Amino acid sequence: MTRTPKLLLAALALAVAGCSSTGGGGIGSEYYSLVRVRSIHVGDGSMAVTAPRPWNRTRTSIFSFEDVRQVEDWTLNGPLLDNISFITGLRNNRQIIYQRRTEDRQVPRFRSDMSAPEITAMLETFFRTRAGSIEFRTLSLKPRLFLGANGFQFDFEHLDSDELWRRGRAVGAVIDGRLYLILFDAARSHYYANSIGDFEAIVASARRRR
Amino acid sequence: MCFRCAELNRRSLLIGGGVAAASLSTGVAQARIRPADMRPLIGPGFRPTDRDEIGLWQQMDRVEEEVSGSNILIKDPQLIRYLQNLIGEVGGPAAKDMRIYLARIPEFNAVMFPSGFSVIFTGLLLRMRNEAQLAGVIAHESGHFLRRHMIRMWRDMRMKSDLLSIGAMVAGVAGGAAGVNTGDITQLAQLGTLLSLFKYNRTMEAEADAMGARLLAEKNYPAIEMANTWEQLIGEADASARHRRKRRDRGRSLFATHPSPESRMIDLKISAAEVTVPGRTYDSRRARYLQAISPIRQMILDDQVKLNDPGASQYLIETLARDGWNGLLRFYEAEIWRLRNRQGDAQRAAQGYAIAVAYPDAPPDAWRWHGLSLIKAGRQAEGRVALSRYLRMQPNAADAPFIRQMIS
Repeated sequence: MTRTPKLLLAALALAVAGCSSTGGGGIGSEYYSLVRVRSIHVGDGSMAVTAPRPWNRTRTSIFSFEDVRQVEDWTLNGPLLDNISFITGLRNNRQIIYQRRTEDRQVPRFRSDMSAPEITAMLETFFRTRAGSIEFRTLSLKPRLFLGANGFQFDFEHLDSDELWRRGRAVGAVIDGRLYLILFDAARSHYYANSIGDFEAIVASARRRR
Repeated sequence: MCFRCAELNRRSLLIGGGVAAASLSTGVAQARIRPADMRPLIGPGFRPTDRDEIGLWQQMDRVEEEVSGSNILIKDPQLIRYLQNLIGEVGGPAAKDMRIYLARIPEFNAVMFPSGFSVIFTGLLLRMRNEAQLAGVIAHESGHFLRRHMIRMWRDMRMKSDLLSIGAMVAGVAGGAAGVNTGDITQLAQLGTLLSLFKYNRTMEAEADAMGARLLAEKNYPAIEMANTWEQLIGEADASARHRRKRRDRGRSLFATHPSPESRMIDLKISAAEVTVPGRTYDSRRARYLQAISPIRQMILDDQVKLNDPGASQYLIETLARDGWNGLLRFYEAEIWRLRNRQGDAQRAAQGYAIAVAYPDAPPDAWRWHGLSLIKAGRQAEGRVALSRYLRMQPNAADAPFIRQMIS
């Protein structure tokens, strides 16, 4: 989950600024690390996936005070264009993003007894409150096996405050009361089609570490 | 400036380099401006003749082009015609010269631009209990135009740095910089930046209030509804803050740039009394308002409730329900509790859905959540019945495959 888009963007802006002033390094080199084509443990390490081509892992260490250990973000072309987020074994009453208790608008906490419609509603509120979505449409919600458990596939699209339509797919399941989910979200034009295959391969490769 | 501009402060500060904030510190409270003293400074078909104002209008034409092309505008022709007619009603001498746009943003705001076009947010429509309240906001915005506040501010130098950034933005420079998904709904990339550029001082806000009260009463609307709008806004902000156990946020709300909301509300009450003629009949035209916004009412309720700001949403729903509960309001009341997700909220929401579906106008989603709640509570058979009802009402629902599996 892109927990704090503002920080990501700040990071991106810094990376761009750093690049232009020093002329070296490349955009985001300090903020992204390479994800190689091999089995990788994601989030808190309880899930392993294999990407079909190299992706970039968003580094979170510099903002570690806002980390949710069970959540990890990847991107191929930058967080504004495409994202894959991993939620790995999120426990009851935990949040998918860091948020202050006093914030007016809050993403609901995950509860172990949540059904798929409740989990997707939680994701929708994330997009509306934290990702600037003006309009959010559910395209489909259907049953799907994930990590060997009865889970769901959630397809959606949203118009964001930057006037861009994005489209996404989340595949998830609650196993032993913990949420496992992989979410893909990308600009609807070009970038969704460009990487949905990667997402499917990653989902198919996902294994839970016992 | 607009009715609620301070929400946009941060963007303005980013773009305008903080200069705009200077206009806020006009200091002490001042005497109320009387509606009787507020005469329009322009007539029908006004066009600027001074060179600086001509230049300002030219810039604004480009801004309007930008705004009118935004994909977050709601284009429902009937609804837009209704709003256009309303500005025609309470727009005074310039009634026929003003244009209105409706942006899908779940915030309370409306903005009047120097060349006479206005942008209304859907969040504003949600919060209005009747046509008089909406007409009051529009009359207030018209007041800025009729009193020529834009050019007066411009000549006061306060707006110049901001307007320079409009030029840059229209040219796409700042637009690119602002075109980031900041995650803050009020910081809309380009439109939001545009909306954040104008700030009026307290005198101008007081003038627009007085002018608005006068325009409203002239068209037989009860001017007291302008004060009621403020009462509702104060109540909502307090309820939101109370729920999160904090004080009302003065830094990022409509309360930052304007005179204090309480004093403004009091002034509006006095002004309303002044413009009200004894024996004359005033009509808030509630039924006509509800009819006009009916195509988008569920959507704008949905946009608000899903922000999971329970204090504000609960206050809003209860305010709207003062005119009568219905299935839609009951459903969204339950939605607030479900999303709030505190101890006991699941049961509270379940009861709420059960109440909502007892109303004949309960939306299909009320049946959906009613069914899901029943199943969660172990009442499988009843849950299946409710979900079947949902699917009958909405056989092509996006989640139909999942629901069918649940009830099979």
